[in-house]
Amino acid sequence: MIEVNNLHKSFVSKKNTVKALDGLSFTAKDGEITGVLGPNGAGKTTCLRTLYGLLKADEGFATIDGIKVTEKPLEARKRLGIFPDKFGLYERLTAYEQVDYFASIHGMQGANKHAAIEQIFKDLEMGELAHRRTAGFSQGQRMKVTLAQALVHQPKNFVLDEPTRGLDVMSTRILRNHLAKFKEKGHCILFSSHVMQEVAALCDRVIIVSGGKLAAQGTPQELCDLAGEKLLEDAFVKLIGSDEGVAA
Amino acid sequence: MMQLKALMVKEFKEAFRDKRALMVAMSMALLMPIMIVVMLKVAIKEAVDNPAVYVKYTGEQHAPKLIKALKDKNILSFADVPEDEERNWNERNIELTIPDSFNEDMANGMPVELVMRADYNEKSLATPLRRIKDVIREHSLTIGYKRLLVRGVDVKLLQPIKLLEQDTSLPSSNAVMISLILGVYLMMAAFMSGLSIAIDSSAGERERNVLEMLLCQPVSTLKIVLAKLSCASSIAVISIILMLILTSVAMNFVDLTKIGATFSIDATTFTTLLLLLIPICFLAASLQLFFSFQAKSFKEAQSTVTMLIMAPSMIPFALMMMDDKPAWVSWMPISGQSMLMEDVFKGLPVDWSALLFTSVATLTVTAAFVLTLAKKLTSEKVVMSLS
Repeated sequence: MIEVNNLHKSFVSKKNTVKALDGLSFTAKDGEITGVLGPNGAGKTTCLRTLYGLLKADEGFATIDGIKVTEKPLEARKRLGIFPDKFGLYERLTAYEQVDYFASIHGMQGANKHAAIEQIFKDLEMGELAHRRTAGFSQGQRMKVTLAQALVHQPKNFVLDEPTRGLDVMSTRILRNHLAKFKEKGHCILFSSHVMQEVAALCDRVIIVSGGKLAAQGTPQELCDLAGEKLLEDAFVKLIGSDEGVAA
Repeated sequence: MMQLKALMVKEFKEAFRDKRALMVAMSMALLMPIMIVVMLKVAIKEAVDNPAVYVKYTGEQHAPKLIKALKDKNILSFADVPEDEERNWNERNIELTIPDSFNEDMANGMPVELVMRADYNEKSLATPLRRIKDVIREHSLTIGYKRLLVRGVDVKLLQPIKLLEQDTSLPSSNAVMISLILGVYLMMAAFMSGLSIAIDSSAGERERNVLEMLLCQPVSTLKIVLAKLSCASSIAVISIILMLILTSVAMNFVDLTKIGATFSIDATTFTTLLLLLIPICFLAASLQLFFSFQAKSFKEAQSTVTMLIMAPSMIPFALMMMDDKPAWVSWMPISGQSMLMEDVFKGLPVDWSALLFTSVATLTVTAAFVLTLAKKLTSEKVVMSLS
């Protein structure tokens, strides 16, 4: 379970101060897929980085399975699988070696680790990529490697920052099925996306962030009802446009 | 421990697959022996041979005997210079002017003034000029002796004291010089060999967006820094070992006995040098990582770190210039090692307590850099500059 509680974060530079988070709170429950929606610059990435413990909030806190990120960052991160906003690959390693590297960092070893890596490569249908160096991989192949390294240790909580950008239809479907399977197993999945159909199809709950604050939350249907629109996209536009009286 | 191992395995894998960076690291090791051999060959040639010297004469027709005496010692007229060396000797420009009154003054027993013009500060001219002076002095003395003999004076009267010079310092000083250069070069190799690997694994990873992902993982930044440090410094150590081995092999190709010098890298020297240089490798890697992690881009890291790293590698040069060395110099990192290395090359016994002290000092500074860097990597500033 991921909990974000009254997060405030400002970036102060000499010239100006940017308030990225302004009292954001939400909860992503176990066994649910929670989508985070928000326009560019709404504070999504800042919120997620606070969650990883890379940034320290000015006020408020984030917990992962009840562990405060600021207090025990390593413990909290052990329970996280992260697919970051910007990602790169170690181009001189093969896909297998890279996933192996992250599995080892998460404390896996021996036959256990080997089996887990084999499994994730099979699940994401990337067997033939395994022993190729990652230099020259296509965007979709890179995404898959990054996903594999985020999921290999079967974390209780997934945080995915726009995981489907650049994936073809087949891969998107694989990812969706994968996430659905994990959800059934009781994992907590938090992901941000700009693709409304995807959010509508996949998410149990949607959190709309705007201006560093929670603009609205609920199931896709609830949000549509709240805004009085049929399509989630229209509801989204309406909700971030007028944040009065809609914050549930 | 397992995390650290995984981190290290990955760093080494990447480093050894980065052929270009590895080549840069090893090129110093490969070039060094070649340089030493070439330098030694030149030194031996200079010490043993009497290479031709070309002088621009004016009025040479007045003193054919002197010119012949010079010619016998392989000091020739610029008119005879072979074409390929013409530019060289034209630049060196040694002029010798023989006055028109040479014969007349000589016949009258008047002193004759010859003028030799050259750039006396130019090091490459030192030997030729000395040779010319020697020949002229000898020629002049011979004439003087003959004059006295003709007048019935024993020439021995002119030499109440005769100093017999046995110059032993000159040839071997070349060898000392070469071993000093070897010391400086070893120090530079310790500093430079790991450079490209260190920059690639810090600023390079940041630029390739893999650093953020690593910082999000449940692993302490200290372990990350240690893994990168051990990789970069190992490359430097490998480079130094390679360099020492190749140098000792290359030494077999030059005949040092010709200049009366002996120089070899035996097992004891080898071990002592390694003991001295390994802490330096660690210090260098920590410095490189420290500064390149803080650079904004790969390019910035490359330029600033290279500059910063050059500074400490200049310390041995500075020490060579220093005549009165204060006591702290022998304890400080880098300067301490460089002075001990000088002793090793001179064949003096190793001051083990100084070695221990300077190694501990070096490793302490390294540890300070590593801990500060590990702390810095957890700060927001590093994360902010990620995007």
